[in-house]
Amino acid sequence: MTDVVIAAYRRSPFHFAGKGDLAGVRPDEMAAQVVRALVEATGVDPATVEDLVLGCAFPEGEQGLNMAKLVAFLSGMAEGTAGVTVNRFCGSSMQSVHQAAGAIRMGAGDAFVCAGVESMSRVPMMGFNPMPHPGLAKEFPQAYISMGETAENVARLHQVTRRDQEQFAARSHQKATAAQEAGKLAEEIVPIAGPKGKTVERDGCIRPETTAEGLASLKPAFRQDGTVTAGTSSPLTDGAAAVLVCTAEYAKAHGLEPLAKVKSIAVAGCGPEVMGMGPVGASQKALSRAGISARDLDVVELNEAFSSQALACMRELGIDEAKVNLDGGAIALGHPLGATGARITGKAAALLKREGGRYALATQCIGGGQGIATVLEAVR
Amino acid sequence: MNAPVAPLPYSPAKSGEGPIRKVGVVGAGVMGAGIAAHVANAGVPVVLLDIVPGGAAKAVERMLRADPAPFMGKAPARLVQTGDLDGGGLQLLADCDWIVEAIIERPDAKRDLYARLEDVRKPGSIVSSNTSTIPLAALTQGLGEKFARDFLITHFFNPPRYMRLLELVRGPATRADALDAIAAFGDRRLGKTIVHCKDTPGFIANRIGGLWMQSAINHAVDLRLTVEEADAVMGKPIGVPKTGVFGLLDLVGIDLMPHVAASMKAALPATDMYVVGMREHALIARMIAEGRTGRKGGKGGFYNREKGSGGESLKRAVDLWTGDYRDSTKARLDSLEIGSKDLRKLAEHPDRGGQYARAVLLDTLGYAASLVPEIADSPADVDAAMRLGYNWRWGPFELMDRLGPGWLAGALREAGRPVPALLETAGDRPFYRVQDGRRQVLGTDGEYRDIPRPDGVLLLSDVKLRSQPLAKNGSASLWDIGDGIACLEFHSKMNALDPDILGLLGKAVAMGKKGAFRALVVHNEADNFSVGANIGLALFAANIGAWGEIEGMIEGGQKAMRTMRDAPFPVVGAPAGMALGGGCEILLHCDAVQAHAETYIGLVEVGVGLIPGWGGCAAMLQRWAEAPKAPRGPMPPVAKAFEMISTAQVAKSAAEAREMMLLRPTDGITMNRDRLLADAKAKALSMVEGHQPAEPKPLRLPGPTGMAALKMAVEQAARLGKATPHDMVVCEHLAETLCGGERADHIADTTEDQVRKLEVKSFMALLKTEGTLARVEHMLETGRPLRN
Repeated sequence: MTDVVIAAYRRSPFHFAGKGDLAGVRPDEMAAQVVRALVEATGVDPATVEDLVLGCAFPEGEQGLNMAKLVAFLSGMAEGTAGVTVNRFCGSSMQSVHQAAGAIRMGAGDAFVCAGVESMSRVPMMGFNPMPHPGLAKEFPQAYISMGETAENVARLHQVTRRDQEQFAARSHQKATAAQEAGKLAEEIVPIAGPKGKTVERDGCIRPETTAEGLASLKPAFRQDGTVTAGTSSPLTDGAAAVLVCTAEYAKAHGLEPLAKVKSIAVAGCGPEVMGMGPVGASQKALSRAGISARDLDVVELNEAFSSQALACMRELGIDEAKVNLDGGAIALGHPLGATGARITGKAAALLKREGGRYALATQCIGGGQGIATVLEAVR
Repeated sequence: MNAPVAPLPYSPAKSGEGPIRKVGVVGAGVMGAGIAAHVANAGVPVVLLDIVPGGAAKAVERMLRADPAPFMGKAPARLVQTGDLDGGGLQLLADCDWIVEAIIERPDAKRDLYARLEDVRKPGSIVSSNTSTIPLAALTQGLGEKFARDFLITHFFNPPRYMRLLELVRGPATRADALDAIAAFGDRRLGKTIVHCKDTPGFIANRIGGLWMQSAINHAVDLRLTVEEADAVMGKPIGVPKTGVFGLLDLVGIDLMPHVAASMKAALPATDMYVVGMREHALIARMIAEGRTGRKGGKGGFYNREKGSGGESLKRAVDLWTGDYRDSTKARLDSLEIGSKDLRKLAEHPDRGGQYARAVLLDTLGYAASLVPEIADSPADVDAAMRLGYNWRWGPFELMDRLGPGWLAGALREAGRPVPALLETAGDRPFYRVQDGRRQVLGTDGEYRDIPRPDGVLLLSDVKLRSQPLAKNGSASLWDIGDGIACLEFHSKMNALDPDILGLLGKAVAMGKKGAFRALVVHNEADNFSVGANIGLALFAANIGAWGEIEGMIEGGQKAMRTMRDAPFPVVGAPAGMALGGGCEILLHCDAVQAHAETYIGLVEVGVGLIPGWGGCAAMLQRWAEAPKAPRGPMPPVAKAFEMISTAQVAKSAAEAREMMLLRPTDGITMNRDRLLADAKAKALSMVEGHQPAEPKPLRLPGPTGMAALKMAVEQAARLGKATPHDMVVCEHLAETLCGGERADHIADTTEDQVRKLEVKSFMALLKTEGTLARVEHMLETGRPLRN
């Protein structure tokens, strides 16, 4: 059976929604600049790309219609390339990778651009017109539970203290700062041309001065008596990311050196009130399908929606934090919902290559109660 | 009656009119920065420079966080360009039409700056100083004829956005057209009342105000009053703001006193009463030395807030004899009881409050009377300056009329003090009188003359002096303001809306329909347009279970609003000050609004556990559904209206009301309160031709899905402690009303009438809850909302 590989990875800088440098950039435009840069960097003929699979968590307004095909037009993809917009909330663009991998195994294409984007500045979380099912909202209110509330639930159920959460968040900022200063992030970043002719080149959410002590002064963000603060939550973020997913043969034919191959994939549901634990079930399934255990992992990208859930998932899965989010996670970098899946999958692949291990795991929790996971293996 | 239609009134949205299109301000201290902010409030671009590198930018930052806010909204702040005086910033002044200097009060420093300005400013530009004490002659010395022609003094009061006085001083060389241009700009664009002053130290307001402060301190010490007693005597009976004198000193900074005294001493002859009365108080020197300079220093002033043992905030006050703090106590004096209505009784009262009032009044009023015509041509100018520059309720000559000028002259004589010529001239006659429907003031020649109104100013108080109302009851009157326009005035207590007001509104519409007038303006000159419906009436009815009557009151209000909106003639609301609750609902049902820039509008009913019941919910949904920039779909109008109403948001300016859709983009804003009625009348006249009542469009409301979404938001707020248990009850009813009720569906029309019925249903349901009744009672008792 043909191997599915991640052949390339790029992303935009990530910036705070509302006040950040990308607030003025339309999401379709931002995604298009990243996709164009990815295709140019690989040198592949756009006509050979089967489909542009674009993840987005709130596909309305400027993210509406079938944004994938519009991004294909904007980014200079060939007329023959199709486009599909995928929504699995925070897991949207990891789902893009999974769809491409499945299609390739079906013999339904050789190369796919798997991207994701979210402008949380320009399309609010919950969308412009939140219209929940009144009966479901009444009978099963956790179906619509707010993400912060789930983070509090996880902290309470898994006894993750506020101090632990703050120390974890501070480490995320430290790792991201070190990576940024060492130029490790610049390699993956595509400068984005802003509306006023200003080019945005660097991440905007990282705060090098963050300390656990400093975070201790923040007020709880979701419950008056809670432990989760804005400092131990990923920020509302604008950003886009993209990976090239293709067959090993395609990569070879186009002179591409793959970052990693896709070993196994999985999704799994969980209680919506503890959606942050979603990575546990999904990762266990994916590891099992890969025939390995958590001990075999060399690199892990575990999305930091909140400190509380990231810490609880690591504990449950038996993952050593030393292997997790080596260049910082979403608490420091930001979490543009639709873009994060492509970022952490691409990042896990790139880190596997950089760090020289064998197996990597990329996994994330998803609002509404589920998780998604991808196991990657080094290409030898 | 076919009067010419007046030109459309000024709106801050329109810039670039008149000779002053761009302004420069040098000196980014409290005054300079505040002046720059207010120029920006008027929609005029402004350059703000400071000698400290980065100081101007910092001042803008500081002002964006300040409360009370110097800016009227976010947009004006973007009109301020900042720069460093020595970092090439001076060049930014090259295209300014008016440059205001607001730097340190040193003539040499000011003259140095002027000399530098001569190199950059464009020909014909005007330069003015915001000096508060330095005579103009000292400022122009050695700067040449050209500069002197373009120079004048523009003295603003702190804070420049809110204080309505602008003192202008011209020199012998000042161009008449320069003075006119600044006067017109100050009046129409900045909304100030212009008072022309002579070139004398401290001009009008600070000369008299400074002496008053000094006298009030001296006598308080001599007569052994507590600071609370002194401030209470000054407050309500004399009409000084409730800070009195010591509270005012805390506000402006006690350390300012010696500086002001020194500069006045330097400028005035040694025989001047002001100089004669100067004393160095050991207490004040000690307080300054200890950094206890008032509110800004954080170490307290005459008053201080200290933390008690239980962490509670304790109000403390200085003992004027020991200089130490003690617990603050309310002033209790016989004279205060007796004198709060009759000033002469206060001044004749034998207790220390009465003696104090008498002493300070003799000093202050005697001084003021002695200064006309030296500092101003007319007593009316002096009174205007003190009312608008020091927020006194009455000016010195108005106070003299309350005492009786003859009484005052006698009291001065009795005290062995000289009687000023003007008081002698007055004899037993008052300084003000009404003659043939016109307010007149006594001149130095002993003749009464009409008080001149600036061109285009129309005051309802003037109309009322010369005419009888077209209709009237205990709470409202209808006046003919000329050219076929009528004005509906509220005059109930705090302009709370009651059945009488609604009744006269209905009657006015009926009269208009019969052709009694062509358009109606709803306006009054009280501090506040209206603070809302009279909830005391509702509580009374609820206590006796008169539910049918209450429902009738709500429906009656709705009917009055609808009748007004559907009238076949234009109705223009012209508010200033607060327009809350029902007051806001009246504006929402007017065909147009011409608002004073300092209008504070909001639907605040949730504060008393209710929701807007006179069509306010329906109107806000309509406004947001039509908002051009709002996202489409059934939820955004509901969410916006819900957010505003559920948190009782009040716009902090007319400009902000526009951002909140409480005013429409087509509604006008008038900067000068004295011009509001004229502008509203002009707007009404412009709408007469071809007027069609607004046709309400059906709404598309989400029904139960929207209620579910809003419930989630409220629950989130409750988890954060931002919504109380009764807030949640009120919000549930508000959500049901705004979402159109259980049966609404966004693919079908919901009419305004359906929303109004829901308003009544929710209002009645809430009024029957204990939580709401507790809120209403608490508000009536304390004036503050209860958070239950």
